[in-house]
Amino acid sequence: MSAAFQPYQRARDFGTPPSPSTRKVTLTIDGETVTVPEGTTVLRAAALAGINIPKLCATDSQQPFGSCRLCLVEIEGAKGLPASCTTEVREGMRVTTQSERVARIRRNVMELYISDHPLDCLTCPTNGDCELQDMAGVVGLREVRYGYEGANHFSLEKDTSNPYFTFDPTKCIVCSRCVRACDEVQGTFALTIQGRGFDSKVAASQDQPFLDSECVSCGACVQACPTATLTENSLIDLGVPEHYVITTCAYCGVGCSFRAEMKGQQVVRMVPNKDGHANHGHSCVKGRFAFGYATHKDRITTPMIRESIHDPWRVVSWDEAISFAASKLKAIQQKYGKDAIGGITSSRCTNEETYLVQKLVRAAFGNNNVDTCARVCHSPTGYGLKTTLGESAGTQAFDSVMKADVIMVIGANPTDAHPVFASQMKRRLRQGAKLIVVDPRAIDLVRSPHIEAAYHLQLRPGTNVAVLNAMAHVVLSEGLEDKEFIRQRCDLEAYEDWRKFILDPRNSPEALEAESGVPAQLVREAARLYATVPNAAIYYGLGVSEHAQGSTAVMAIANLAMVTGNLGREGVGVNPLRGQNNVQGSCDMGSFPHELPGYRHISDPNVRRLFSEDWGVELVPEPGYRIPNMFDAAIAGRFKGLYVQGEDVAQSDPDTQHVTKALSSLECMIVQDLFLNETAKFAHVFLPGSSFLEKDGTFTNAERRISPVRKVMEPLSGMQDWEITQALSNAMGYPMNYSHPSEIMDEIARLTPTFAGVTYEKLERLGSIQWPCNEKAEEGTPTMHVEEFVRGKGLFRVTPYVPTDERTTPMYPLLLTTGRILTQYNVGAQTRRTANVAWHDEDVLEIHPHDAEQRGIEDGDWVGLKSRAGETVLRAVITERVQPGVVYTTFHHPESGANVVTTDNSDWATNCPEYKVTAVQAYKVTKLSEWQQKYEQFTERQIELLKRAKAAEDAVS
Amino acid sequence: MKLEKLVKMANQIAANLSYGDEGKAAEGVCDHLRRFWTPDMRAQIIEHYRQGGADLSPVAKAGVAKLAEKETRAA
Repeated sequence: MSAAFQPYQRARDFGTPPSPSTRKVTLTIDGETVTVPEGTTVLRAAALAGINIPKLCATDSQQPFGSCRLCLVEIEGAKGLPASCTTEVREGMRVTTQSERVARIRRNVMELYISDHPLDCLTCPTNGDCELQDMAGVVGLREVRYGYEGANHFSLEKDTSNPYFTFDPTKCIVCSRCVRACDEVQGTFALTIQGRGFDSKVAASQDQPFLDSECVSCGACVQACPTATLTENSLIDLGVPEHYVITTCAYCGVGCSFRAEMKGQQVVRMVPNKDGHANHGHSCVKGRFAFGYATHKDRITTPMIRESIHDPWRVVSWDEAISFAASKLKAIQQKYGKDAIGGITSSRCTNEETYLVQKLVRAAFGNNNVDTCARVCHSPTGYGLKTTLGESAGTQAFDSVMKADVIMVIGANPTDAHPVFASQMKRRLRQGAKLIVVDPRAIDLVRSPHIEAAYHLQLRPGTNVAVLNAMAHVVLSEGLEDKEFIRQRCDLEAYEDWRKFILDPRNSPEALEAESGVPAQLVREAARLYATVPNAAIYYGLGVSEHAQGSTAVMAIANLAMVTGNLGREGVGVNPLRGQNNVQGSCDMGSFPHELPGYRHISDPNVRRLFSEDWGVELVPEPGYRIPNMFDAAIAGRFKGLYVQGEDVAQSDPDTQHVTKALSSLECMIVQDLFLNETAKFAHVFLPGSSFLEKDGTFTNAERRISPVRKVMEPLSGMQDWEITQALSNAMGYPMNYSHPSEIMDEIARLTPTFAGVTYEKLERLGSIQWPCNEKAEEGTPTMHVEEFVRGKGLFRVTPYVPTDERTTPMYPLLLTTGRILTQYNVGAQTRRTANVAWHDEDVLEIHPHDAEQRGIEDGDWVGLKSRAGETVLRAVITERVQPGVVYTTFHHPESGANVVTTDNSDWATNCPEYKVTAVQAYKVTKLSEWQQKYEQFTERQIELLKRAKAAEDAVS
Repeated sequence: MKLEKLVKMANQIAANLSYGDEGKAAEGVCDHLRRFWTPDMRAQIIEHYRQGGADLSPVAKAGVAKLAEKETRAA
């Protein structure tokens, strides 16, 4: 058994949250002297001293409530018996937690609870893992004098509408922990206690089934429930776990820490880790519940090869698959030159695995044709922040948001795409921080329970730079800049150039109003708000980067933060919200064709020498192909072989028909994945990858936090992904001999200054580390650019607004923008293979009532969507969330073909595709598009070719 | 690679780097192409420039001219 395996027990609960005070108070509890921070409750102080006061309604993720009356204690000099959960410690206080008097009262309280609670403990799902059961034991409950004949709640019906958990109201003790979890932890306010007295009950929304309610299925209520009222269905099916392993979620860039609670090699449930530094015990529907894809029947667990994509697959041994792949790649290089092959690293794989793929390309392939899916999401962040601040990463820790006075969210939809961080952000907003939303759509944050944006700048897609420049214009023209910060921290020559540029009247809000569609007065007020509070923080997402001016917008954000002095401390900063779990890490690991690990340009002879000496091979000094360049080169006949680790370019990349044409031009395509995804349908070699549950390694989240990923089950295919890359490298003739990912991390640390202090031993000790971690910051760096910028002086860059080529025309009068929704993740390869389809089983087209009416489109109609790139058909949802003239969709389902419509237009600096702006026309139709019909036929054929491989394998075995 | 696309990319780079000093902007274009474009993409745009550089914006053209000069010198 691995040292990471811990015997199962519930996470320790200290009853109430920690106090942030630095002043100490000393008191006596049961004769023990205890010193705790001022503001700590007696209940928590006792727990910290190892004294467990009985409790039911208290839990340390929520504020004290004081309803269950079980945690009563005696306090010398105090009247009656105060509840220890609502009583704060005082200097010299003397507390007695156990006495005959409190014992009698506690027994009476439990007796009342149990008089209306089913006595089916032995067959109850949470038998052995139930706080109510524990408390009955702790207080010594021996009888229930009231009997069970009177009025009770035993006949209430279960709500099984949610696919992941069951609500059994017969077991409810109305402690309100679920309601408070939904309010305080998640911030959705979907649950309430309905009725009074005996009729009090937990209700979702307007007493609706959970699935139909506003519940977002984050699992906070299930985790908070001290009984079997809210229970994971997997626990009901499998029973209580026997051990657990701390690991890191493989969904979004928040990078939540989880306890994988196990029975042998089977995951019983994923429970958010209270000690997790990114999530502090919270989760979302994806990380908490949507892990079933790892054992889905569609998983391919044996290597397969074929000569042509029209042939059936042939199941082969690992050796045969690897040597087939290597010989194909070598033959291509011999015939077309060594630059004719390349690789794509996965932002879903570990740091160690992406590092190894780029090393394979640079050392074994002998070129720099390596790229990663960050190309199509956050490559402009890398470029923009490196240029202005000196480091290609966000500046803060997530916790920094708790000190922000103004939060500006631009081109991000955190409640859907980064839900756990959104909950933290909403907590801060409920405390009084002000919110500015810059987005073409009315995202949930604009107005939701107890949250309302002070300003929603509802700009036209493609005009981020115009609005950001206009905000900076207001700051400078109204004298709101932080002169001292600029003088001390920034390059003054560049500042003067930029200042002159920004003050040009063409950058005023009034001049840009017609272009952006945002009333000038709103821009002025929002800019004043941002510039005049002590701490203002910017959070942004793909709505900033996925534009023709993505890199410019990132630099405009950095300019705005610098000019107002909002960098270098907590509560401020420039914070890219990364899409996938390891986008930050895959970029850090040198996945871009022009950069070695640590963002060092390949043309730098000193850096190249460092790697050459370590790797024992000469490195090419020129940048290689980016993903879109690879496709173009493939169509031009110059690029013939591609190794794709865990990415589905045929679905996720824009202009699908262009991508599939490029993939069809390849002579050898190697796909390493969990499933026969869209890209694998064009592959000649399929190497079965491993899920995050089947491997060791690390992920790096959006706040530069390196967190451990730990193997909880054996890889279904027998190989972890890094082992597959290693085997391919060896077969290509470049030897790799790692026996564990920790050895790969040691190599990364040896060669990368920002990772110099990272080791597995330190990760074990600290739980997680935010890079840079080196001799200057042994335990990592939560806030960057504190004393000075990484590049020395902050660089203001001139950011001219250049309208995108994707303009509306009479033929394409609408603008399509694309995004994500909460329950699905990226291409959906994982989430579509879970019960998350209960919430979103197809991609739909959001269209404004005005545009719908003009076209005779009604809610639910099939709508054709056409751009200069292609045409697809989606079902219409009529909503005022989008402005007139703008339509919106997602691309979680391959058959919806959203990317058939998106174009090859891309960011000027990085070629990041412009997913957020496509000129389109929409019209009512009655059948699928031609592309969709062809897609259906092609998919059917490829599934048939896969089935034949499986049938042949079954016949042999 | 499709030349049309390379020309469009070069023009985009030029437009985003253009403000004030055109010489500085052309230097920026040249530097960007050297840092981010593969040698064959650079060779193709240089060749296009030598053929007259149709459809290249003035700043893009000046940037490619500088690139051509540097690459010839390096060779």
